Amino acid sequence: MTVSDADMPTADDALLIVEGASYSYLDRFPALDDVSMSVQSGEKVALLGANGCGKSTLLKVLAGLLFPDRGRYTAFAAHVTEDGLEDAQFARGFRSRVGVVFQNSEAQVFSPTVREEIAFGPLNMGLERDEIAERVDDSLAMLDILDLADRAPYQLSGGQKKRVAIASVLVMNPDVLLLDEPTATLDARTQDWLIDLLVELNAAGKTIVLATHDLNTLDRLADRCIVFSEDHRVATDGPTHRVLRDQDLLAAVNLVRAGSRSPRLAAGWPLPS
Amino acid sequence: MSATSTTPKWLLQHEVGLCPCACIGKRRKGGVIEKTTSGAAALLRQTLFSEDVAGERGLLQRLDPRVKVLSLLGLLVVTADLRHIPVLLGMYAGTLALAAASKLRLSFFVKRVWLFIPVFTGVVVLPATLNVVTHGDIVVPLGTWFGHHLGLTEQGLRSAGLVVTRVATSISLVVLLTISTPWAKLLAALRALRAPRLLILVLGMAYRYLFLLLNAVTDMYVARRARTVAGATDATSGRLLVAASAGALFGKAQTLAEEVHLAMVARGYAGDARSVTAFRMRLLDAAFVLACVAAAVAAVGVDRLLGR
Ligand SMILES: Nc1ncnc2c1ncn2[C@@H]1O[C@H](COP(=O)(O)OP(=O)(O)O)[C@@H](O)[C@H]1O
Ligand SMILES: [Mg+2]
Repeated sequence: MTVSDADMPTADDALLIVEGASYSYLDRFPALDDVSMSVQSGEKVALLGANGCGKSTLLKVLAGLLFPDRGRYTAFAAHVTEDGLEDAQFARGFRSRVGVVFQNSEAQVFSPTVREEIAFGPLNMGLERDEIAERVDDSLAMLDILDLADRAPYQLSGGQKKRVAIASVLVMNPDVLLLDEPTATLDARTQDWLIDLLVELNAAGKTIVLATHDLNTLDRLADRCIVFSEDHRVATDGPTHRVLRDQDLLAAVNLVRAGSRSPRLAAGWPLPS
Repeated sequence: MSATSTTPKWLLQHEVGLCPCACIGKRRKGGVIEKTTSGAAALLRQTLFSEDVAGERGLLQRLDPRVKVLSLLGLLVVTADLRHIPVLLGMYAGTLALAAASKLRLSFFVKRVWLFIPVFTGVVVLPATLNVVTHGDIVVPLGTWFGHHLGLTEQGLRSAGLVVTRVATSISLVVLLTISTPWAKLLAALRALRAPRLLILVLGMAYRYLFLLLNAVTDMYVARRARTVAGATDATSGRLLVAASAGALFGKAQTLAEEVHLAMVARGYAGDARSVTAFRMRLLDAAFVLACVAAAVAAVGVDRLLGR
């Protein structure tokens, strides 16, 4: 069932548009099947679904790291293709406007020191060294990791790595932030900190798309949810409060157990409207 | 209760055989394979990835990486052209002096270098010392074989000595370069010297892959140790484990390496190596280049004087 009310944004003026995209790994393992979705500027959108339904794959498509076998992807009114991204000018524009925080921070922090890790993106963007130094310091301060600046990223704890990964993306000042299960593996306090940060960034005008299967933090993290079924298709797309209320659907896509209620509803908390 | 319907009973009971109180069992020492593999992984990781030395404030560490790459590679070329053992020994002494000036522990430096030498030279050099291969005057007789005298010849030994000293000097120069320069700066210096972008891309990927592979090896042994009860590791099971997990290991390292690459591409990486700190040539760099040129000229001069 698809929600298509008048309050839903139209695809025409959207920032990111995916139309009929399908993708299989090695031509054998399907990950996306005829997926269409769009993201408006300034939105907070959650990609919701059980393990293996294709959330990470869609994020990689949105990031211009994978290219759909069928269908098309348009970002900032330009068609994004593998060939197109070979063009240095286009790649630079696209990469600086879209930031990705991977699920596995391990993969995202590789430089010898935290400072170099954070400077990596701006260096590739070709910014001046003075400006890079200033931005790196600001990012370190913003994420409260100034004391880690000269440590080796692989020696850090999971939460610290996540902060470094986020700093290394924010330092490029992207318009769109793509985050893959950002709150997974973080302790409660770090989770709260991250949610506050994302809300603040969104209020400052950043567009946020995140993948998650954690329903508890959803009402703060997303205005809209795109729910994936286990056969890699879009099951529904609508405002968060409406999606969270649809228990049959959530059970059908394996996000809650059949017969149980989503935790927030069960606890009788008020729903945002 | 739905939880117990699929959980095997034994999992819900306490294990009776395990004594919780004291260490009264036999102590287990790691098998030979386990020791060698994790030892080799640790050594390789230290040689390739430790940036302790690069962080010191010695002579080589203070040089502009571009100057360092050019000078040491220049000396490498000269070394390949030298034909007399005493001259090569002189060059080798020079690398030791550089190591000392760069705050390297000499024993550590010498050990690293000589560890690699058998790999490069052993196979080639040893047969060459025999009179069957290199004809000449036998200095170390080894007896007779099918009526022929067998032994090591003076000529054979000399050419072997030449190869070994040359290789030792060359490896010392390369180790000096890599150990005193953080990897990121080394790549950036190569790029600044106009090395092809593809070469940098491949070097960078190989380096990251190796790093992740070594980490995976270490992790695997830690994980295995945690699962090993009592004397279950004999040599056979060790070998089986190595055979069985090699595939998984490479797969794991590769998946992670690919993910790292994607994460780099997402931040605008296109194969260029750039460094946070700008390279700057100073008086010290000029002096170092001059010293290297002087050493090279002297070495080649003496080598020629001693004749062909
Ligand atoms: N590198 C890969 N090789 C083969 N199959 C993959 C690979 N990555 C993901 N898949 C498959 O693609 C499907 C979608 O994966 P993914 O996008 O990671 O799901 P999610 O992030 O929603 O958990 C899964 O069925 C998974 O098994
Ligand atoms: Mg995922």
